[in-house]
Amino acid sequence: MLRNASDSWGAPAKLFHWVMAALILAQIALGLMAANWRLSPTKIELFFWHKSTGMLILALVALRLLWRLANPTPLLPPGMAAWERAAARLSHLLLYALMIALPVTGWIVNSASNVPFRIFWLIPLPAIVAPDEPTADLVAWVHGGLAALLALVLVAHIGAALRHHFVKRDTVLERMLPGAWRAP
Amino acid sequence: MKRIVPLLALCGLLAFAPRPAQGADWKMDPAGSKLEFIATFEKTAAPGEFREFDARLRFDPDKPAGSRLDVTVKVTSADMNVADVNKEIRGKDWFDYAAFPQAEFRSTDLRRIEGNRYVARGTLLLKGVKQPVEVPFSWTASAGGAVMEGELTVKRGAFGIGTGEWAETNVIGADVKVKFKVKLRKAG
Repeated sequence: MLRNASDSWGAPAKLFHWVMAALILAQIALGLMAANWRLSPTKIELFFWHKSTGMLILALVALRLLWRLANPTPLLPPGMAAWERAAARLSHLLLYALMIALPVTGWIVNSASNVPFRIFWLIPLPAIVAPDEPTADLVAWVHGGLAALLALVLVAHIGAALRHHFVKRDTVLERMLPGAWRAP
Repeated sequence: MKRIVPLLALCGLLAFAPRPAQGADWKMDPAGSKLEFIATFEKTAAPGEFREFDARLRFDPDKPAGSRLDVTVKVTSADMNVADVNKEIRGKDWFDYAAFPQAEFRSTDLRRIEGNRYVARGTLLLKGVKQPVEVPFSWTASAGGAVMEGELTVKRGAFGIGTGEWAETNVIGADVKVKFKVKLRKAG
């Protein structure tokens, strides 16, 4: 039940999926609010939670990738067209890439803007680039672009999961749901 | 002989008359001096510095009574290392550069605590607000000069630094640590 099988996800994989899904949705909302809020203590609070959550996501995605590599990945259902398989692979690859690239670009922005920051008030975040305002502005713009791309891929991901369930009537969505569901 | 007795008496009186200790005058060497202020931002130290300030001192480390310390700080030289923050602190809610470009500390009450540690009790004028402040410092003499060094904590709210919604202290803390190192040489 812990490890993945060729037709099912183990509990850790499901936990990673749903915890990170919730964090990522919260993160997009926090990021949008933080960026657009007028300068005030609330804006600083929003950024604080956005940055802390981002670093948490980066740590989780590292563990999640290790877990994924150490486990079999459940197979896609038979009968999918080649383009569907390619789209599934590409979107999953993009999701992982963005789960890394978004926190890393955010980290660069924080370093370049030279704002002191401790993750959840606890862990000081070391700078990964030297303070430089043009770098901060440029990478903030890239960060926003990547977030927009993530939103698009998420729409495709959720749409595809619903299509698997309601149109193709296979088990792709169900087997990611929490609980003891197993392929019959 | 008759005239010399009162003269001697006068000399004796002058010798023992109480007079203020006349310490040396000291001027600051800006190159070796630093005035930092460390605010907190989400409970994390946010360091800043006043790049331009001047200290004048009349001080005898052995007889601190009668000394005086005058510090002027060009508030508009504040640098908090973050471009956006530097823009923000100019405004009315923070330092209000336009109305209060200069801060001053004046003390005529310098005392020895023990050894080379002293305290200057005086008045800090910042953003138009005068508050009594105690500035502890150490005094280290060196060839042809001296270094005074110390730190104190100031409540930003007492001077109206961060007004309106910024007065709340969850995000920007109430305490600001002020650290200074002043390199002095004898004036004149």
